[in-house]
Amino acid sequence: MSALGAPTAKEKKYDRQLRLWGAGGQQALEHAHILLINATAAGTETLKNLTTGIGRFTIIDDTVVKDEDLGANFFLDDGSIGLSKAQKACELLRELNPDVEGDFINDNITNFITSSPDRLKEFTVVIATGNIPLSSILSLDRILYPRGIPFFILKCVGFAIACRLALSEHTIVETHPESIADLRLFSPFPELVALCEEKAANMDDKERTSSHEHGHIPYVLVLLQALKDWRSTHDGNNPSNYREKAEFKSFLRGKMWSPDDENFEEAIAAVLPHFNSPTVPSATKTIFEDSRCKNLTADSANFWVIARAIKDFTYEKNDGLLPLPGALPDMKAESKDYIRLQNVYKSKARADLAVVVDLVRSLLSGLGKDQESISESEVETFCKHASYAKLITGRSLRSEYEDDPKAKTISNELADPTSLIHYYLALRAYETFISEQSNGEHIPPGFEDSSIQRDSSKMEQHINALLDKLAVTPTSTEATSKAVGEIVRAGGGELHNISSLAGGVVAQEVIKVITKQYISMNNTVILDGISSRSQVYEL
Amino acid sequence: MATATVLRTESPDRWRYLNNILNRKGPYTDEAFTPGDEPKAFLTDAKILVIGAGGLGCEILKNLALSGFKDIHVIDMDTIDISNLNRQFLFREADVGKSKAEVAAAFVMKRVRGVNITPFNCAIQDKDDDYYRQFKIVVCGLDSVEARRWMNATLVNLVDDETLIPLIDGGTEGFKGQSRVILPTISSCYECSLDMHTPRAAVPLCTLASIPRQPAHCIEWASVIQWPKEKGDLKLDTDDPEHISWLYTKALGRAEEFNIPGVTYSMTQGVVKNIIPAIASTNAIVAASCCNEALKIATTAAPYLDNYMMYTGNEGIYTYTFTHEKKDDCPVCGNLPQNLEVNPEWTLKELMERLQERPETTLRKPSLRTSSKTLYLQAPKQLEEQTRPNLEKKLKELIEAGDELSISDPGMPFNLRLIISFSG
Repeated sequence: MSALGAPTAKEKKYDRQLRLWGAGGQQALEHAHILLINATAAGTETLKNLTTGIGRFTIIDDTVVKDEDLGANFFLDDGSIGLSKAQKACELLRELNPDVEGDFINDNITNFITSSPDRLKEFTVVIATGNIPLSSILSLDRILYPRGIPFFILKCVGFAIACRLALSEHTIVETHPESIADLRLFSPFPELVALCEEKAANMDDKERTSSHEHGHIPYVLVLLQALKDWRSTHDGNNPSNYREKAEFKSFLRGKMWSPDDENFEEAIAAVLPHFNSPTVPSATKTIFEDSRCKNLTADSANFWVIARAIKDFTYEKNDGLLPLPGALPDMKAESKDYIRLQNVYKSKARADLAVVVDLVRSLLSGLGKDQESISESEVETFCKHASYAKLITGRSLRSEYEDDPKAKTISNELADPTSLIHYYLALRAYETFISEQSNGEHIPPGFEDSSIQRDSSKMEQHINALLDKLAVTPTSTEATSKAVGEIVRAGGGELHNISSLAGGVVAQEVIKVITKQYISMNNTVILDGISSRSQVYEL
Repeated sequence: MATATVLRTESPDRWRYLNNILNRKGPYTDEAFTPGDEPKAFLTDAKILVIGAGGLGCEILKNLALSGFKDIHVIDMDTIDISNLNRQFLFREADVGKSKAEVAAAFVMKRVRGVNITPFNCAIQDKDDDYYRQFKIVVCGLDSVEARRWMNATLVNLVDDETLIPLIDGGTEGFKGQSRVILPTISSCYECSLDMHTPRAAVPLCTLASIPRQPAHCIEWASVIQWPKEKGDLKLDTDDPEHISWLYTKALGRAEEFNIPGVTYSMTQGVVKNIIPAIASTNAIVAASCCNEALKIATTAAPYLDNYMMYTGNEGIYTYTFTHEKKDDCPVCGNLPQNLEVNPEWTLKELMERLQERPETTLRKPSLRTSSKTLYLQAPKQLEEQTRPNLEKKLKELIEAGDELSISDPGMPFNLRLIISFSG
């Protein structure tokens, strides 16, 4: 018999990650089917990190395992040499977790795009690694981007990593901020005002308040009472700027009876983080002002229906205040007083939620949809995170490469010799280098010792052509040449550590986009294993 | 050079990619770098030590083996638990209960031909200075602050004319992690930055005993106060589900009494085991960064990290790479004592309690001396009894302002030096 309340075998197995993304996140992962293009070291390392919870993976690769693959790729072994790389990598990865399904396709992606474009649409996420011609990458982008399938393009050469995420739109409710507490100190609701009146009105009165009571008034009530006193001598205004807040802190200090009054210390520490006018944060406004929020249709995602209900609640029913999250941080107080205060916040949050739920129901019936098609718990999660929800609008590769390149971003970065944009350019040149070989081969620059110089100047020509196309004047050319030098030095080879690092980074991002939790990167990260730095660009 | 041939004869192409960066000088490579046999010989000959064979350790062993290191030792005293399986990728269900170090070593040796990994299923404290002196680099993948402090202090103490062993340390929590390179006595050491890694503030005992407000307060009450009270000498085993269930039931009862919502079995386990949520991908990032630094240090093929890199994946991707400054008054690698202001009216016992609360010291059973006299010793028994009366004496009776206090503690492989000044 299992011990009382003890977790199931599955909960035990996934205990550590369930503490991060919960059962909902885990379920989303278990429904995911990931396509890995090419069983490179970076690719198998990515899958290794994902077999801890995804449902299924597929590897497509048409090459056979060579000796040099074993020096970089942990998921190939001596017995694999000469055999299908996709198959061997798939076998060794499947050993990691019997609950994960894995299969393979012995084909190259360029053929597959032509022969089976519809099968690409079945995947939850597609990850491209290794030497793939640019034309195929752009074809994949044309298929995946309009369908909202996250497409990761990962390049690992020598000490350099570039990872690009092409994803048209990504909405996140559970962004996991440090705290979701909103104390409403500048706009207390009636129940909170009443509790303050009852518990803190006499906090300065030594006749009516014992020193024990004084030292145990929850700091939220201390602040509300002190704000009331402050407003009576400041034309009814709350402290607004830094100077006034500093004065307010001294004012609070003057109300302490003993240096041991921890609740007053907590109140003083809460002034800067919690004395804010209750405005709708700009990220939330962006969501409210999006046309998908304004113009709901029967096809609108739950996110937009709930966002619209919260918007209507905020501006039409709640004087511009978002629904209350209802969370309360811990604070020095008697148990019963703390629980009472906590319940005041929770009740208000529940009341706000009930109004939002009603709005969701009526929006749904207006759209001709089942009123119950959105659960109350989904609305509740959104209400709690309304100040932290996020809409990321991505860019296609086609925009980056053809229609609308970010020439200005590149040109701004280029002047800085320490910028990692130089690696971006060198890796773009690498891509052109392997894509332009007429015989269908993809021999990387620096593959032979004898070709280093010739390949380096070819790479530099590719960069110049790119900058020319972008109408960007080359600056910090020495830094660009050094980046080229490092890429050519590697001869197209993966270093295991760098591939493993890349596999960790991509796996984190894949988990974030699949669970729709935490904030995913937008849209390109360059990591440099020499200076141990990274930079993110929106390209 | 006979040693370097091992890499080449093993198979002509196996290390082709790694050899590209060892045979070729890069634009950022140090002038002193000689491409070819020299860096390869170092990888073949150098003994490298891995501390920990858990989430980070499994990754580190794989990475070092695929970085061309041939002689690797690994120390871990733990056995494999079912909750390790999904991210400690060298372990399978059949391995549950076996030594982490032994299973991990055997797996990597089987997969990567030519690497030799020597496992030790023991505590790091079981090994002596001579053992540690044989290594060229130590890579730490631990989740314990205490073990890291011990390893750090040991490597700092080993520094002499012939010995300077770089310590590469990694740590993770959720989507965040850090890697760092410590050159003992030359750059900032683990102790110099202890204030960055202090555990969460402890909840005051009076909150647990009389005014709980959070589910965690109820759980801590059950484990800290009720367990010893009701179970006497029975040691709490946080891996025993019966023990956790007992605590959970007690905590639940207390929570109901105070109307505190939210106590769960999972939370009970999290609080009493101090579980830090860990995921495979973050371990991979941090371990790879550490091993990349190890490879760069060993081969000088590229400059290495000076000396700290933080990775944050919660909100987009953000890394911060910086030089953490060495502290002159670091009790391990500095040569200056720290200053401590005390109230002369405190008893020695009160001073000890306050020192135990200080996050930057985190003492367990401290013994205290000045240069001229012994104030209190935890052991041996006879001396403990002799010095015990001092505990109730006031500081002003025992020491003078300006005295240097030397503190030793079983959790600290060095003495803490404090110059005393009196407040008020």
